[in-house]
Amino acid sequence: MRPEHWFYTLPLRLRSLFQRNQVEQELGEELQYHLELKTKEYVASGMPIEEARRRARREIGGIEQSKEICRDTRRVSYIQDLLQDLGFGLRMLRNSPAFALVAILTLALGIGANTAMFSVVQGVLLAPLQYFQPDRLVMVWENNPRFPRVWVSYPNFRDWQRSAHSFQQMAGGMDQGVDLTGPGAPEHINGKQISAGFFGTLGVKLLLGREFSFEEDRQGGTAVAIISDRLWRSRFDGSLEALGKSVTLNGVDYIVVGVVSSGFNFGQQHADVYTALGRSDPLILNDRAAHGGIFSIARLQPGETLARSQAEMNTIQNGLDQLYPDANRDLGIYIEPLKQVVVGDAGKVLLLLLGAVGFVLLICCANVANLLLARSAARAREFAVRSALGASRAQMARQLLTESVLLSLAGAVLGLLIAVFGVKSVLAAVPESLPRNENVGVNASVLLFTLGASIAVGILFGLAPALKSWNADPQGSLKEGGRGSTGTHHRAQSGLVIVQMALTLVLLVGAGQLFQTIQRLWDVNPGFDTQHLITFKVGVSHSLTKTASSTRIAYQQLIERIRQIPGVQAADFTDTVPLSGQGGTMPFWIGSQKPASLQGAPRLAMFLTGPDFLRTMGIPLLRGRFFTSEDTTKSPCVMVIDSVFAHNYFSDRDPLDQTLSAGFSPVGPCRIVGVVGHVKQWALDDSSTYIQNLAYFPLYQDPDQWVPLNYPYTTIVVRTSLDAATVMPSVKKAVYVGGSDQPVYNIRTMQQIVSESMSSQRFPLILLGAFAGLALLLASIGIYGVISYSVTQRVHEIGIRMALGAEKEDVFRMVVGHGLRLAFAGLAIGTAVALILTRMLPSFSRLLYGVGASDPTTFVTISVVLTAAAVLACYIPARRATRVDPIVALRYE
Amino acid sequence: MSKPSDLVQGTLDLLLLKILALEPLNGYAVSLRLKQVSGDVLQVSDGSLYPALHKLEQEGWITAEWKPTENNRRAKFYSLTRLGKKQLEKESANWSRLSAAISNIVKLKEA
Repeated sequence: MRPEHWFYTLPLRLRSLFQRNQVEQELGEELQYHLELKTKEYVASGMPIEEARRRARREIGGIEQSKEICRDTRRVSYIQDLLQDLGFGLRMLRNSPAFALVAILTLALGIGANTAMFSVVQGVLLAPLQYFQPDRLVMVWENNPRFPRVWVSYPNFRDWQRSAHSFQQMAGGMDQGVDLTGPGAPEHINGKQISAGFFGTLGVKLLLGREFSFEEDRQGGTAVAIISDRLWRSRFDGSLEALGKSVTLNGVDYIVVGVVSSGFNFGQQHADVYTALGRSDPLILNDRAAHGGIFSIARLQPGETLARSQAEMNTIQNGLDQLYPDANRDLGIYIEPLKQVVVGDAGKVLLLLLGAVGFVLLICCANVANLLLARSAARAREFAVRSALGASRAQMARQLLTESVLLSLAGAVLGLLIAVFGVKSVLAAVPESLPRNENVGVNASVLLFTLGASIAVGILFGLAPALKSWNADPQGSLKEGGRGSTGTHHRAQSGLVIVQMALTLVLLVGAGQLFQTIQRLWDVNPGFDTQHLITFKVGVSHSLTKTASSTRIAYQQLIERIRQIPGVQAADFTDTVPLSGQGGTMPFWIGSQKPASLQGAPRLAMFLTGPDFLRTMGIPLLRGRFFTSEDTTKSPCVMVIDSVFAHNYFSDRDPLDQTLSAGFSPVGPCRIVGVVGHVKQWALDDSSTYIQNLAYFPLYQDPDQWVPLNYPYTTIVVRTSLDAATVMPSVKKAVYVGGSDQPVYNIRTMQQIVSESMSSQRFPLILLGAFAGLALLLASIGIYGVISYSVTQRVHEIGIRMALGAEKEDVFRMVVGHGLRLAFAGLAIGTAVALILTRMLPSFSRLLYGVGASDPTTFVTISVVLTAAAVLACYIPARRATRVDPIVALRYE
Repeated sequence: MSKPSDLVQGTLDLLLLKILALEPLNGYAVSLRLKQVSGDVLQVSDGSLYPALHKLEQEGWITAEWKPTENNRRAKFYSLTRLGKKQLEKESANWSRLSAAISNIVKLKEA
């Protein structure tokens, strides 16, 4: 019945709305006609015409009242009233352009900053992953008693694929950089080795071509590759003929069978080429105990839950553990939603920052509310008259709220422009540490957020004057010297200023603590000399690395050429550069007793380095010796441990000449020949969750079968007093001696690496600092506004004081004292709030280093800064107060 | 002449709908017809007539059309819609139920 109903009534309602005048006119005409007929009736019954008319008119009742009732029944009055309020509001704002401008600008800043921050939160945290039904996708890790997540073993993975029923499809992948040498210039690109069905599991359609088949996904299968959109356009001109052509990766030709669309991304590394996982190195694929970097994804069957799939996989893994105790003992499975893996810890920090920018918005609202309060005092008379004319309190409150929302929406429009610009700068500031940052932008949900936020904000700060008007006494305002509502305004305004100060303090303290943290981190001694150190990688030509021995020779010749460069003091290879986020751990044992369960064995972090590494890095040698050129595959294997390792495992005996074995496919037992100083491998702040036992193994003693895997993974570190721009051209020349198809990439100084290791603090600091600065500016303006207004209101009182003998200094002190009182109240509240918050937010306190969450220095410094700002803000109004001429002031009543 | 009784709340809609079901009329004619057909017992004040008609129009039960009359004037004629016919049936049924109930109570023998 309802839709039918609307069909009849809608045209009528629309007409009432849009053709008001005509409808009114028609009603008038109708009533007029009725009047005439009635009159005629009375005349016909013998009444004189005048009396007839009068009687008829009386019976019709008030025509206007009739019209009014009809109008009400038309039930569109809400919208009409709203439109009327809007029109009126616009006129009022046009009449006070200065006020409108200030309010709109303030709101634009607040709303703009919030929109920018929300875009980031939305893109990184809230938006679903761009795969088909992404909430059904999970990441399947292995785990052991020490680590919650361990790279997957390939034979285990294949067994899972065969037996798991809770998954619709499973796929595996491994990140692997490759050297692209054709077509086109040599370039080192990011690659992924994926199993057949990888894109199918994600539910992603390729732009061109197809996925790998099962025949291609095994040893000896045809060498095929899928390339990224970027590669397709740069190397094949985006031509459809690309399929069937080949790319040369690491010296081998792969036929292109597919192209991925440009929007696709998986994981941190944006891969440019995909090859088959099954064609990877057999050392990793066939060894059930190898956990070399393979991850696996899966899609849950429709109706299946994560908990049930975890249970099923546990059973399967238990079965495998029974079958293969050597490799799999203590190995479990951990299933995690894919989104959680992608977003990681970034979410918590982002939410923190969103809260911080929310504070800024509150401060903005407080400023605008204060402005409105000041204005509403001036409009008190207007409202008194309106209420006398019959406007209800609800109507007036609605009028005020409409004006506020109007201001807010205007601010939002301007704020959107600020936001677009702001998002760009945020992304430029710290691009890498943010997962999914390609997703960040001002899109539909962000616009919706802005709309909702600006309406909410408008209502929020509009409440202040609306509530005031609710309680206003019209009598008092209508009187000539009406000063009735100033007192209450004062309290509200002061309250708002105190809140502003408190919020600003919290933000400044947060930013200050982060800043101090970064300073402390820079002061930390990482265990090596970070100055004058340059790192880079070289994609050694594959014609030189056909065998293990030729590889060793090629690498040795390369490093020798680099050492010869004038200005280079030392150089060597390492597979792990400290603080660069690289590095893996492996189980170890001392002596000859191999532990029953490798998974449960203690761990060390292993560096594979050349003999000159120690000297290049400036790591102190504490005991014994480091490697020499005598340590080759033909001599007994040796290892070097660091001081922490020695302390943990050799506190009661001399580590030298003990034997050490390490790895899932173990190396050793090797003789320990030296002890070196400890190096901060994982992070400057030395999180105790990471393994601190460090050990070194000579690169040139790496067994033949591992050479093709490990050597291309190495980085060259060079100690030189020259800067990168000067020395790198000579380095490149030295590299190209061995072949011009060898890309030199990832060139970074150690200082840059150290700086990037602090990016988890730098990113929030930049934003929090910006927000705090904005807050300080707005709060200062807030205090200025309120004190200035108060001085204007109290001109009379100041005049009296001066007439009674107060000096200029006394007046000055009085005004500044007022401002300081507000500031101190705000500081007190803010300090309390900051203390509670910094302790209660672990996502913040985890970022801190060397600075306690309740460290007094920060609080004291910030308080001083805020007090100074308050004094500065009060200065001009205070000066104005001193210049009041008591005679003039007293004359104006 | 006894004072015409005030109309029971809510029955005005029913009466107007029924009158318009008989034939389309303008507002004045409706009030006249009501007086005539009820033998002067029921009448609607002019002040309540047009609001009531408007409400019926808003609900979609009657629809209006401007028709020319003598003297080159035009008048608004109301007629029943399909929806209105259904509403009339509904309200008639309600009225029968209500009046039957009241009659039953009034007819009860006093002690």
